[in-house]
Amino acid sequence: MRELSYAEALREGLRQMMETDPSIFLIGEDIGVYGGAFGVTAGLIDQFGGQRVIDTPISEAGIAGACIGAALTGMRPVGEIQFMDFVTLSMEQLVLQAAKVRFMFGGKAKVPMVLRMPGGSGTGAAAQHSESLENWFVHVPGLKVVMPATPYDAKGLLISAIYDDNPVIFVEHKLLYKTKGDVPEKPYRIPLSQTHVVRQGQHVTVIATSIMVTRALAAADALAKEGIELEIIDPRTLKPLDDAPIIESVKKTGRALIVHEAVEIGGFGGEIAARIAGSEAFDYLEAPIRRLAGLDIPIPYNRELERNTVPQIENIIHEARKLAQTAY
Amino acid sequence: MATAVILPKFGFTLESSRIVRWLVNEGDTVREGDPLCEVETDKVNMEVEATADGVVAGIQYPAGADVPVTNVICYILKPGESADAILAPEHASAVAAESAASTPAPAQPSTSAAQKAANGVPINASPLAIRVAEEHGIDLASVQGSGAGGKITRADVEALIAAKDTPKIRATPAARRIAAENAVELSTVTGTGPKGRIQGTDVTAAVARKPAAVLDMPSAPSSAPEPTPGNRVIKLEGMRRTIATRMQQSFQQAPHTFFEANIDTAGVDALRARLKARNEKLSVTSIIVKACAWTLKRHPYLNATLTGDEITLWSDCNIGVAVALENGLIVPVVHKVDGKSLQTIQTEIDDLAARARSNALRLNDLADGTFTVSNLGMYGIDRFTAIINPPQVAILAVGRAVRQFVPDEHGSPVAKSLVSLMLSTDHRVVDGAQAAQFMADLRLVLEDPMLMLW
Amino acid sequence: MTMKDVLSPTALSLYHELLETLGPEALKKMLLTMHTIRAFEERAEQLYAEGRVHGTMHLSIGQEATAVGASSAMIRSSGDAGDYLLNHHRGHGHCLAWGSSVDKMMAEFMGKETGYCRGRGGSMHIADVDSNNLGANGIVAGGVPIAVGVGLSIKMRGTSQVCLVIFGDGAANEGAFHEALNMASIWKLPIIFLCENNQYAMSMPYPKAFNIEKISQRAAGYGIHGETVDGNDVLAVYKAVSEAAQRARNGEGPSLIESITYRYKGHSKSDKQAYRTREEVQDWRDNRDPIMRFNALLVRTGVITEAEGEGMREQAVEIIDRAVAFSEASPDPDLKMIMDGVYA
Repeated sequence: MRELSYAEALREGLRQMMETDPSIFLIGEDIGVYGGAFGVTAGLIDQFGGQRVIDTPISEAGIAGACIGAALTGMRPVGEIQFMDFVTLSMEQLVLQAAKVRFMFGGKAKVPMVLRMPGGSGTGAAAQHSESLENWFVHVPGLKVVMPATPYDAKGLLISAIYDDNPVIFVEHKLLYKTKGDVPEKPYRIPLSQTHVVRQGQHVTVIATSIMVTRALAAADALAKEGIELEIIDPRTLKPLDDAPIIESVKKTGRALIVHEAVEIGGFGGEIAARIAGSEAFDYLEAPIRRLAGLDIPIPYNRELERNTVPQIENIIHEARKLAQTAY
Repeated sequence: MATAVILPKFGFTLESSRIVRWLVNEGDTVREGDPLCEVETDKVNMEVEATADGVVAGIQYPAGADVPVTNVICYILKPGESADAILAPEHASAVAAESAASTPAPAQPSTSAAQKAANGVPINASPLAIRVAEEHGIDLASVQGSGAGGKITRADVEALIAAKDTPKIRATPAARRIAAENAVELSTVTGTGPKGRIQGTDVTAAVARKPAAVLDMPSAPSSAPEPTPGNRVIKLEGMRRTIATRMQQSFQQAPHTFFEANIDTAGVDALRARLKARNEKLSVTSIIVKACAWTLKRHPYLNATLTGDEITLWSDCNIGVAVALENGLIVPVVHKVDGKSLQTIQTEIDDLAARARSNALRLNDLADGTFTVSNLGMYGIDRFTAIINPPQVAILAVGRAVRQFVPDEHGSPVAKSLVSLMLSTDHRVVDGAQAAQFMADLRLVLEDPMLMLW
Repeated sequence: MTMKDVLSPTALSLYHELLETLGPEALKKMLLTMHTIRAFEERAEQLYAEGRVHGTMHLSIGQEATAVGASSAMIRSSGDAGDYLLNHHRGHGHCLAWGSSVDKMMAEFMGKETGYCRGRGGSMHIADVDSNNLGANGIVAGGVPIAVGVGLSIKMRGTSQVCLVIFGDGAANEGAFHEALNMASIWKLPIIFLCENNQYAMSMPYPKAFNIEKISQRAAGYGIHGETVDGNDVLAVYKAVSEAAQRARNGEGPSLIESITYRYKGHSKSDKQAYRTREEVQDWRDNRDPIMRFNALLVRTGVITEAEGEGMREQAVEIIDRAVAFSEASPDPDLKMIMDGVYA
């Protein structure tokens, strides 16, 4: 099949949807002739013009508000927040407005908007351009949170997010933009809230999100040589979460390792761990549920410090091996 | 008609407010919006305003009173209206109900002074017993008194506490589930997990070793596809699965290293011959088990188990003896070999083997092994390597004794009876030199069994 | 006091200017709506004091002219035919002026299933999406950036709608206000930013929070039209908002209108109003009350008689009585439906 990069897959999804539906438009900082800080929207302004690929001033609350107002009145906006860190400036609009208007108004309004934003470290951009804040949004009723790990998922999930009638926080990863993978040319949808078993294995269930799916797969290849088979699960949609495949898998392996880049305390891994411990999978556990996640520090600048702040392949190998050997 | 002024609800959690002071007197003329009194709320002091123009009348509460919200606090009369227009106080009935509710309940007896049983009969217990019981949350009604007239003493309570404090069993949820499903007592299962935690696989193994489970082993499951004539399909389950799992786990996880020594059996043979002359039976296996215990005492790293991050060096030598069964293999354990005589060891091995073959082993017979001996010499096997029985770290494989010519110190052939002893060790715990020294001492004691006395 | 005392110098000339557009019936309806708003707010306060509703509320007594003047200047209809309204939590009056059902408003206020938001929104979040009333916002300036999106949507869909967003003086000092006005300006969006300056952001008096004489001066900073009107003069508000709507429909972009008014009641419940004097409130009540002024104007010009004016107040109270009866007879939301309406 044809290979595209993660960024190209997103761009193709945006382009194909905009070609067929005039209610879809893009809005964000430097998404026009600049093409977006990571090039996702490159060239789209040439095809669709400045009326549908709207460059904004540096106004993150304004971008979020514009998406909400437009969505309330019949449009399907796709906003871009240049770095996930900057979404802190949109929080009021997202948390108090986008998430709540439908419920507050007795279920009589809908907010079909997508807000894309790249999170994650690994680019040496230090503390204010490297955050993974997805769990902030997971905690808010009314929002959906999507985190694709592959080019294929990126396109299929983006199209589903655009056609979802709820506000969707679409979290991309900077280091994934250039990764390549098979992507069908025709538009296709991957349903939201459908957890994906990426790799089968019988010894340890590894639940990973975003770039950690890629790293977990690499760890699985290494451990397979030692006879340890990891089962890798990517929730893809963090909220609303489809937890059934996770619980089924843990029933099979008896061991669960949760890997994400965001800081461990208060992170999504805690939710997954609680779902496992509170489910029928509890009775199948052969070891404590383990988490591997970011250190409780801002992302440092120094390359080695930065690398050691978030889980790497070797950390996953080490943890998964210890779990498989019942060392915990 | 007179306008009733109620105590407004100032905050959504507010249930009542205290009137701090009245700012007007009965008979005062007020305009709508004029402050009537100041009240204290959970946040700040607020003023209650007149809700109409007129004359203040019928103040219902004095300053200092705590008034439930929405109760009438006073009335405002229109010009010319008489105070008679005021109806009976609206809150009168509420006040009555409240005072009924607040009638003091009978004094609660102090619990420490006299605990009573559910039937109300006072419990006969010493003050000290009562105190200890309360500290530990013990219901005295559940304690049997051993003192005069059935009086409960401190000792009675403490005995109950001690009984309650039996150590908790460390086991994974999976182990607990499997144990419950198979009616296995977790206290009879040896844990191989970290700090001896019982894993699901430990219980599965225990289930497999249960005599009943052995008997239940189907030879060919009915659901299996129709076998080709002459072939049989046997499902990997029960004891077979346990052996499969444990041996695979051991061979994959423990880096095995092997050390062979050919031992001259002359000393052993002499000993056996002397006993045979007295009609006493002493098997090669029994002597080797005893010799292993003697040697293990001197090489504690081989009398060890590895669980998780911990190597446990055991003070007792509990040596398992592999027993072949029709459908598999089982390893009953001779406990505390180092303290037992050869005769006792021989008796125990005979008993264990007999019971193994008649499915009469108890779980204790299988627990707590620290080393294993497997002897296939009786089948004519020259030498073989054995897989370590985890969490143990070593196993000794015994072949048959073979008479061979070996050169003596002058280079002349001498006929000797030699037996192959093949030690398998887990290199995570035992290094080559340690294993070699163990084998050297084992050779020493087997070639000169008198040393066992030392 | 005579009627003359309360009429502003411009009131009569405005009346003559607008009489042709509005006509006597519309003028009478505006006065009745102002009475209805006041009656609603007074009953709201009474119901709360009696413990018959809970939560909190932000009453707009004294600000009726801005609500009615602004709404009367907009096209109130559904779908693409109507303009949009966004407002904030002192918004009962805006909704009533927009033409919302008093019954459904009162039912929402009382937390009933028959309320506009099925009892989920309450006093601060009344919305009537079917008539393009996109709802009241509990967050100061929360609806201002949303108005930008509505304006953008109108422009992209190519309709001639206009978005009216009403907020208070406090909102003008939020960062989101700045982002929104700038974006609306650079894209020339059809939005009317109507700032009700009622002199206090909770307890913060206007002069302590602003170093400018008028909030409308800020319009210059965004390159948009700005003006300040007497917010207690319903016709003055009507005129300013009408002109702003016309500019918006002509593609001339947004306007910032500051409406000077005053709230008689505290910010919400539990407000001791220590930041102002009783005399100050009384002065506004006695000399600048919007209902009194408009009533005086209509009596003076012969649109209504004095008796008709008094009758309107009673009529308004009856409307509210019926709404309370409707609400009290309405069912509470079904607890089983508690999760309903979070996601579409």
